[in-house]
Amino acid sequence: MCTARLLTGTALAVASAALCAAPAYGAPTYGAEAGPKAGTGSIELYPSTVAPGAEVTVNTASCEADDAVSGDAGAVGAGGFTLIPSAHEGDAVGHFEVPPSAQPGTYEIVVRCSSGTRMTGDLVVTLTSTQESRPQTQVHPRGSVKTGVGGALGPDPVQTAAGVAALAVAAAGGTWLLHRRARGDGI
Amino acid sequence: MRVRPFSNVSIAAATLVALLCGAWLLHRGAQTHAPPQPSAAQARAGGHVDRPAADALPHSPPDRVRIPSIRVDAPLMGLGLSPQGSLDVPPAARKNLAGWYEAGTAPGEKGTAIVAGHVDNAEGPAVFYRLGALKKGSTIEVGRRDGSVALFSVDTVEVYDARDFPDERVYGAAGRPELRVITCGGGYAAGTGYQGNVVVFAHLTGSRRA
Repeated sequence: MCTARLLTGTALAVASAALCAAPAYGAPTYGAEAGPKAGTGSIELYPSTVAPGAEVTVNTASCEADDAVSGDAGAVGAGGFTLIPSAHEGDAVGHFEVPPSAQPGTYEIVVRCSSGTRMTGDLVVTLTSTQESRPQTQVHPRGSVKTGVGGALGPDPVQTAAGVAALAVAAAGGTWLLHRRARGDGI
Repeated sequence: MRVRPFSNVSIAAATLVALLCGAWLLHRGAQTHAPPQPSAAQARAGGHVDRPAADALPHSPPDRVRIPSIRVDAPLMGLGLSPQGSLDVPPAARKNLAGWYEAGTAPGEKGTAIVAGHVDNAEGPAVFYRLGALKKGSTIEVGRRDGSVALFSVDTVEVYDARDFPDERVYGAAGRPELRVITCGGGYAAGTGYQGNVVVFAHLTGSRRA
């Protein structure tokens, strides 16, 4: 079942709190066996197992809201990248592309908050994506998918603001006409 | 005589136009914009020219999904499973990003490939907002990393309630290359959110080079 916006916010707040409680240093590392979303410390890599040439999304909720957040994917040859705060409960999100020439292996991706926190996550590069690690009998997902919060249903703030602006123009025009009339310019 | 740059008539006309525009915009802005939902006719197979199935393509991860009839053109990211066993979703903050179940079948391979994306996020409509408006026989294109584009034809578009989700029908194995495209739908309630999912069923009808 898809969750309402309020519930999503609460769940994210809980998740953020849990992430913040995790130690930034010395966290255990997980390899490919931990599944496609495994990460270390307080950053998440989507996906964490990729083929060369793929784009990876990096996500953290562990920096302060006014932190500048920078990432370093130099280990895999992708260089630095910037994480931009999203609308999501202080999450910062960034992207980098694994170079097509990257060799298979496990690489450490580093993210730093300007307030000093340093976090790492493991990126596993395989030559043929996850084909070889796929089990012979596939595990199918179960149940419905949470792909919406109802954000399209509310009032449109842009149209509302434009409407208010247009009414303000109309009010100014009306005032001007009344002003002329009061001066005796005639209507 | 005083110079008057604008006549009273032109000011009055501009005022009236602004008033009407403002009222119309406020009215439009206050309306709800529920995503389109498929009609019952789209949930029944048949009634359109069913394009013959094509032979399966070799495995190659997909990187893009395009559905020209509803103006979808979005990159694909890999998705895993949540601890509860349901399909994960892309980060909600990126509204034009869809995902595919990367531990499963790749689109074009024999079996059931799964693509999912958000109908909306907190800011408004997202990548699959118009998925419920898709019609039988429409084409879905999936760009793959090997440079090929897998072409699918829509068989049915259905809505399932989350409380009674037909896992086997949606996710179960298929004997030919098939595709499911999933997003939220089925009515919205303030307390519980969307009631279920819109699911598009499609089968492979061919491929071309990108």
